[in-house]
Amino acid sequence: MKKIVAVTSCPTGIAHTYMASESLEEAGKKMDVQMKVETQGSVGVENELTDQDIKEADAVIIAADTNVSKDRFGGKYIVEVAVADAINDAEALINQALEGAESGKESEVDSNLYSQVSDEKSKRKEKRTGAYKHLMTGVSFMLPFVVAGGLSIALSFVFGINAAEQEGTLAAALMQIGGSSAFALMVPILAGYIAFSIADRPGIAPGMIGGMLASSIGAGFLGGIIAGFLAGYITQWLKKTIKLPENLQGLMPILILPFLASLIVGLLMIYLIGPPVEGIMNGLESWLQGMTDANAVLLGLILGAMMAFDMGGPVNKAAYTFSVGLLGSEIYGPMAAVMAAGMTPPLGLALATVLFKNRFTRQEIEAGKPAWFMGISFITEGAIPFAAADPIRVIPSIMTGSAITGALSMLFGVGLRAPHGGIFVLPIPNVVSNLGFYALAIIAGTIVTALMLRIVKPKLEE
Amino acid sequence: MEVNEFINQNLIKMNLKSEDKESVIKEMIEIMAENEIITDKDEVIKKAMEREAKGTTGVGKGVAIPHVKSDAVKKPAVAFGRSKKGIDYGSMDEKPSYLFFLITVPEESHDEHLKLLAKLSRNLIHDDFRNSLLEAKDEEEVMSVLENI
Repeated sequence: MKKIVAVTSCPTGIAHTYMASESLEEAGKKMDVQMKVETQGSVGVENELTDQDIKEADAVIIAADTNVSKDRFGGKYIVEVAVADAINDAEALINQALEGAESGKESEVDSNLYSQVSDEKSKRKEKRTGAYKHLMTGVSFMLPFVVAGGLSIALSFVFGINAAEQEGTLAAALMQIGGSSAFALMVPILAGYIAFSIADRPGIAPGMIGGMLASSIGAGFLGGIIAGFLAGYITQWLKKTIKLPENLQGLMPILILPFLASLIVGLLMIYLIGPPVEGIMNGLESWLQGMTDANAVLLGLILGAMMAFDMGGPVNKAAYTFSVGLLGSEIYGPMAAVMAAGMTPPLGLALATVLFKNRFTRQEIEAGKPAWFMGISFITEGAIPFAAADPIRVIPSIMTGSAITGALSMLFGVGLRAPHGGIFVLPIPNVVSNLGFYALAIIAGTIVTALMLRIVKPKLEE
Repeated sequence: MEVNEFINQNLIKMNLKSEDKESVIKEMIEIMAENEIITDKDEVIKKAMEREAKGTTGVGKGVAIPHVKSDAVKKPAVAFGRSKKGIDYGSMDEKPSYLFFLITVPEESHDEHLKLLAKLSRNLIHDDFRNSLLEAKDEEEVMSVLENI
């Protein structure tokens, strides 16, 4: 029995996607063709095609009015049509697909590195679920505040390291913008948008209030994360539990939810959760500040390896979130280690494609050029296409390089006040301390990554 | 989640008066407005026309499913209308449309609502389902066809 896999998608993702899917499935039944249809609609991806499905398929049908990535169908015959064509005449499409497959044609698959990276990123975004998704929503809303705050503070140091203490000066103003405003909002925004991700709009108020409390009682970003989740789930629970008569329902979002949820979250934060988290946070801060060289190197190694392990996935984001959170506590070492370690995987791979051409395919050598740029921009995901092609060799290599970079950065005592930006933030005065050593750490990791690849990757034939 | 949470007899119009595409969209949106499903009629009309501009929602087989996702929509709903004469809706198969489903959902919608709409859409492919809608005598009969999806 022939097998066809298909993807259907339309701009709104409410109706056509599913009609096309039904139509293809029905036609498949009639024609005795095994049919699996992935729908990319407003509910997200359903009935997702597995690698196994695609491998077994004789041909691929894409019926979509939106951009559907074709990368995963490399080597298969693809029929690409508007979604309406599948609704109207699915049988003709199936015939067309089977005939095409018969004739042995393959469709060209785009091997552009940028599109692969952005596809991968959006795929990951779709896959994010549960607590991780909520945390990432919070972090992504928080980042602009960290950038604005970190760079303003760094600028104030242009006038001298203590210049901001003179009231009325520009340095003091910059400090006021960055330190006492932007950074003060960091934790409330983080908490507010974690709660927003869980409970929609009603979550924002209790989340931000909880985050503000976490900040003011010294529970820091850890407290903020807890406050955000508490606020989100409590609001959600209240929304489901409280049943009001129809004519009073308008009071729910405006009066009852924000007040009750904020009250519960606030009291929990102050009496129950705040104090122990404050203790943990203080312990963490004093450990990080008074760390011995050996411990610093160890932390750098671990953070560095985490950054490279899944290149932008949950482990990477855990290390990243930890470091960004610490910026609010004026601890800048881990941020430096994490950014450097996130830059070396694409850089090391790019270097390796230049130095050791006989170990990479022609496509990979081409992809090496944009990888340089992704590396210096701190887009760790630039390493994904290489890692996807040969994970067992590439991932350990880039982890080794990143771990070394992270460790060196911590050993040299480099601090970084900006949460992102790659080399482009480095020229801003005082954003990074020990710039020379920082560059050294990044270069060392890049070279180690390339050498590791030289050792573990076998020579290719031809 | 049941069908009758989206649609009820007030949202069904057995004999649409319009004779062209734009007026049928407006006529259907008017039904939504009368039932206080939407807060801003003009906005919804604009969104619906924008969607049509991207590609007709006249999917052929005599069915059209204009749809709108907007903040001007209070809750997910479906309005059903039928035209005895048929309306030239610029459908894919260039034939007139007889069955109209206007689907409105708020920007932020629950998956369960969307899944039910997806199920409704899937049913439209089936000849039996369409025929029973075409032959339904009154609103009540339409409801019972829809409730059995």
